[in-house]
Amino acid sequence: MNKKHTTEKKSKEKAERKPRSLKAVNRMETVMYTLPAVIVIAAMIFVPFCLSMAYSFMKWNGVSSQSVFVGLANYKKALLNDAGFRHSVIFTAEYTAAYFVLSNALALLLAAALSRKMHLASLLRTVFFIPYVMSMAIVGFIWKFIFSQGFSSLYDLFGWKWLNYSWLGSPKLVYFSVVLVGVWYSLGFYVVLYIAGLKSIPNDVLEASEIDGAGAARRFFSIKLPLLMPSVCTCTLLSVTSGLQVFDVIMTMTKGGPGTSSMSLTYGIYQEAFTNQRYGLAAAKSVIYFIVIMILTQLILKGFRKKEVDL
Amino acid sequence: MKRRSNPTRLGRSGREKLTNVILEVVLLLVGAFYLYPVFLICINSVKTPQEMAKSITALPKDIQWSNYADVFKDISYPMLLRNTILVTAIGVVGVIVISSLAAYILNRRRTSYTKALRAVLIAPILIPFHTFMVMLLKVMVNLHLAGSVWGLGIQYWGFCTPMAIFIYYNFMDTIPKEMDESAKMDGASTLYSFFHVIFPLLRPVTITVLVLDIMWIWNDLILPLLMVNTNVATRTLTLGVYSYIGHFVSNWNYALCAMVMSVGPSVVIFILLQKYIVDGVVAGAIKG
Repeated sequence: MNKKHTTEKKSKEKAERKPRSLKAVNRMETVMYTLPAVIVIAAMIFVPFCLSMAYSFMKWNGVSSQSVFVGLANYKKALLNDAGFRHSVIFTAEYTAAYFVLSNALALLLAAALSRKMHLASLLRTVFFIPYVMSMAIVGFIWKFIFSQGFSSLYDLFGWKWLNYSWLGSPKLVYFSVVLVGVWYSLGFYVVLYIAGLKSIPNDVLEASEIDGAGAARRFFSIKLPLLMPSVCTCTLLSVTSGLQVFDVIMTMTKGGPGTSSMSLTYGIYQEAFTNQRYGLAAAKSVIYFIVIMILTQLILKGFRKKEVDL
Repeated sequence: MKRRSNPTRLGRSGREKLTNVILEVVLLLVGAFYLYPVFLICINSVKTPQEMAKSITALPKDIQWSNYADVFKDISYPMLLRNTILVTAIGVVGVIVISSLAAYILNRRRTSYTKALRAVLIAPILIPFHTFMVMLLKVMVNLHLAGSVWGLGIQYWGFCTPMAIFIYYNFMDTIPKEMDESAKMDGASTLYSFFHVIFPLLRPVTITVLVLDIMWIWNDLILPLLMVNTNVATRTLTLGVYSYIGHFVSNWNYALCAMVMSVGPSVVIFILLQKYIVDGVVAGAIKG
């Protein structure tokens, strides 16, 4: 007790006598404690990001020590005469739209069912969550096997015509296959988010509406859904951004094929840089991609800020 | 208000129970259907190619455990597992130390400098990996972080820290400042008081950060592919299995074994620790 008192006194005296040096110590500490974070984030994210910006104006093959400044040529090429890039933009947009709608609608439905008082609710939640803990790349392989081998065997069993289609070999069908696998992989993630959202709705509000005579559908759309808006916002944001980043499953299941029919933006950038060795062009594409993602994120956040309700 | 008579109430709850039972049966069927592909992978991984050619859906008659033994050797499974554990451990330990310290100081010392720094350090949450991956390899080669298991683990410090700082910073608001001030009065240094007083209180969010980052690092393909693919001895589990299935194996049954061995550990760990994992994932997403 006594000791404590003296140290306290000492530190107070110190502070009074040399306010400047204490401030300096504090400042030193602030810098020292944040420095590791600053260094690693700068090295792994900001430096490569700024270099990508810089190299988007250059021509570089990744190997040679020299890169040539070409101005806006890469952007012009990507935006005006690159049919593959345009196609990958369309594919990614269509994929993201379907992925967003399906995963949110199905997850909301499942979450509404699983948040009822059931014995098997937690078991079922586990079942739907299992794919999400797997590696997305391996999930691509799993479904490659199912589409290419399993479906034909199931066709022999059931004789349904759609099982005999070439789900990975046809340019039109491959889109549905990629969407299916994307939704299958992450559905459980959105289900648990919506369950958490539904559980946070206070019971008295629901009971009050029931006493007022609202039916199940009315209760869902007029009470639960508006109060669920924060969860919907989170899930929308996450599903749109992860839809736009679809990569691993394309890489292992389709390799962008057949032809370039399932080439996503991110996989296109990867190939442009590491297969075609056109780093400048790939960098320009990543900058365009970054701008698109930023705009969409801001739009979603703004859109939801208006719609949130308070109790 | 009118009082509801008892019989209708009972009838209502009875009906509710019936709907629940029907719903449960339907959902069980949907769930079984949902995991049917995984089931098919498992049963076919222990068949011979001939048996697989006959039927994918039939149960294996003569179980070939030797498939697993062969793949175990082919991909040097213990080595892949060791590399993955090492990368994940280096990654998460670094992320937790770096980000909890930074978040602590940023939260406790509010000056215009720390406010600006906080914004800069958490901004990368919004920058997708694929927008800077093109130049990443060049930078990492120059920093001598490419091509080694250690280097790969260290790289995750940069990618996971922004989100971790964000989560820690927000949680730090709930810890009263008196806690660290009283530690300071006792003459403890800032570092000592942080690790002995504050860090234990951060446990719930430390679990969140652990879950998010372990799941990311353990399952990641793209970063190991860019950084450690040239040397077989430095590959991680996902990368090793990816290149095995993609380039070396022509038999589906071996490929299926490799898939099971790749995702098996994560699924088992998930089933054992699912409460923590689901809570961690939900907390991470809502805070993010």
